[in-house]
Amino acid sequence: MNNWFKSGSPWVWLSAGGVSISLISVLGLLGLIAWRGLSYFWPADIYQFEMTDEQGKNLTVIGEIYERESIPASQLVHLNLNIDESAETIERLLIKTGNRELVSLDFRWILVPQINNTSLPTDLVVIERRTNGNFYGFIEEVILDGRVVAQNEMLQLVERVSDFQAEMEELQKSDIGAINYQIERTRLKERKHILDDTLTAQLQQEFKDKVVGLKADYSVLEDQLMALREKISRDQIVVRAMDGQKVTINFEDVLQVTFNNKLNVFEKLKMFFSQIGAFVSEDPREANTEGGVFPAIFGTVLMVLLMTVIVSPLGVVAAIYLHEYAGNNALTKLLRIAVINLAGVPSIVYGVFGLGFFVYMVGGSLDDLFYAETLPSPTFGTPGVMWSALTLAILTLPVVIVSTEEGLSRIPSAMRHGSLALGATKAETLWRIILPIASPAIMTGIILAIARAAGEVAPLMLVGVVKMAPNLPLDGNFPFLHLDRKFMHLGFHIYDVGFQSPNVEAARPLVYATALLLVSIIVALNITAVSIRNRLREKYRMLDQ
Amino acid sequence: MISVTPKKLSEHRVKLDLNNLSPEQVALEIKNLDLYYGNKQALQNISMSIPKGQVTAFIGPSGCGKSTLLRCINRMNDLVDICKITGEINLNGDNIYDRHTDVAALRRKVGMVFQRPNPFPKSIYENVVYGLRITGVNNRRVLDEAVENALRSAALWNEVKDRLHESALGLSGGQQQRLVIARAIAIEPEVLLLDEPTSALDPISTLTIEELINDLKKQFTVVIVTHNMQQAARVSDQTAFMYMGDLIEYSDTNTLFTTPAKKKTEDYITGRYG
Repeated sequence: MNNWFKSGSPWVWLSAGGVSISLISVLGLLGLIAWRGLSYFWPADIYQFEMTDEQGKNLTVIGEIYERESIPASQLVHLNLNIDESAETIERLLIKTGNRELVSLDFRWILVPQINNTSLPTDLVVIERRTNGNFYGFIEEVILDGRVVAQNEMLQLVERVSDFQAEMEELQKSDIGAINYQIERTRLKERKHILDDTLTAQLQQEFKDKVVGLKADYSVLEDQLMALREKISRDQIVVRAMDGQKVTINFEDVLQVTFNNKLNVFEKLKMFFSQIGAFVSEDPREANTEGGVFPAIFGTVLMVLLMTVIVSPLGVVAAIYLHEYAGNNALTKLLRIAVINLAGVPSIVYGVFGLGFFVYMVGGSLDDLFYAETLPSPTFGTPGVMWSALTLAILTLPVVIVSTEEGLSRIPSAMRHGSLALGATKAETLWRIILPIASPAIMTGIILAIARAAGEVAPLMLVGVVKMAPNLPLDGNFPFLHLDRKFMHLGFHIYDVGFQSPNVEAARPLVYATALLLVSIIVALNITAVSIRNRLREKYRMLDQ
Repeated sequence: MISVTPKKLSEHRVKLDLNNLSPEQVALEIKNLDLYYGNKQALQNISMSIPKGQVTAFIGPSGCGKSTLLRCINRMNDLVDICKITGEINLNGDNIYDRHTDVAALRRKVGMVFQRPNPFPKSIYENVVYGLRITGVNNRRVLDEAVENALRSAALWNEVKDRLHESALGLSGGQQQRLVIARAIAIEPEVLLLDEPTSALDPISTLTIEELINDLKKQFTVVIVTHNMQQAARVSDQTAFMYMGDLIEYSDTNTLFTTPAKKKTEDYITGRYG
């Protein structure tokens, strides 16, 4: 025993155990998120349950099985179920029944002992819609242009409609959006002239003509849009729901029609990937509980990149000053301690600071100076993507400073002396020798900063994140990058969907899917940064002396 | 076993009267130099004249101040915060410790090679042209020519001419040290300071560098600090023996090693201490 201790193997076991526990936790976490998140995209089987309820009424329930759980039989005694007395637990199923226009809740629990018959009818259809969620039922009639047509034409119809939808969206978002933007800009220009007292009759006429021209363009586009809408609205599907009610669904509302029970594994796989594609590329619908998360992905990445662009030069310059130029005295030591402590300040405090300083003070002053024409509605004096990036840059600044300084102090003095002895000044030495050699350390700082910033939500809620942003911060209207706009963020999206949504059950898988996406994006950003660092390391590899 | 039997390098030594050099013969004149690290005095009243176009060696036991004295010549001691210097060092009649001296310009005139090879983590080519790029030379032809000349002078050209754009860190220790010498002479200094240039090298590389030093004195004034008395005897024309911050004896190498004037010098070169 004594020898075993002396041999050091207990410590090997102990440390290996520590590593295993960390590894298992990380993999377990990722596995859970991935499983729960990805199963959301897998096309589920649609069951039809024939059952008898407590009052002895027969009814049919159609839907996806969402969850199973066992509950103690004693809880259900008062229902007078005609079930096996000896059973201690009873299984119940959570069924997603959809059809929100017929029943207020699209989920219901059913008790397994009440089910008389379960089947998977192949002609059961799932209709994914723009409003009211999914519809589960059987197709009765397909109506095209007011005439009933064969059901097998339906899939082509859906495709045709989705083309029209895309066209309409394009019209609405980019063409009409651009005209609206122009009209607003013209109005602001005119107002600016009024404020500056430089509005001449000629200018006024010019503005007027411009607006009239734009409005004429607008009405042309509007007519096109109406024509398209008209075309679509004449196509309908009549569907029969589980209780026999017939419902007419306009094609305008239909996103996708699938017969889940008919699909084989390959078709399901295809659908699985197309659902993932839609999730990452589409806008959210129905108060974020359905549709995709593209604006949130875009917002997260853009904000992190902006933050990186701001924090890197700032942190590097600060570290260079602290390490190279500041005297080695008590004040420098104090500064260094202050910087390190800054990393420990809770992030919400940075959010409050960002709101008070950046948004209200800096943004408010910017508005007074440059955007007076839009007041009282603020331009920069309101939370936005730039203030978010700046706030997070302040938050992550200590990380970059500390690791850059560490990198600078690891450079052998022989490098500095070699350069100085060749007649280079201190600045030239820094720029040509020290900074390139320190660049891997700087990258390490940036990696840590990105990792911290991408997951941060609390401060962003104060300085720019919103539940639903009408426009992306980047679009086709000059100046293209609109730093004053509010944006959506995956982290906040998780919070919003999971805890603020009216439809908790529907939102739960979305929470996992979004979490998986957020983790993947952070990992992708980190891998990019790490590979840049490794290339730099290889390039500026120091001698093993 | 590698036997190191260098050819007699110092055959054509010209004997100079070190106390009565004409101004044209003097490269560097050190006058009453005192140096303190904080409260501790590291150099005491050093005065000497270093002749042009010759190799001058500083020898002495560890901690005697020979490297410190060498670093005074291109003001590398400025980098030590607590270092304080009084006295003068005149280069071409100008005191380099004058308040108006441009230190970067001084270091271009007085090049330096350190104990351990310290090539930059750049290509061989970029290492050699570093000093030239600093001075704003960017003409490709000029740079190419300078690289070839410097590498030839440093006896490295033939070994690296096919891989000029590979990393300098891939060279052997001896090659790296010659590269560092090439880097120093590429900017054509007047004086070249060598701070124990062979102490980190193997005997063959040492021999190559010693031969190189002998060639270099045709173009530059060379000042070398060495631990190794045989090396000083082989490569130098003048030798200065230092002990505890004092310059004990300074004379031509043959005299110093054969008939030293001071007891301390004799004890040192006969290996009684050090």
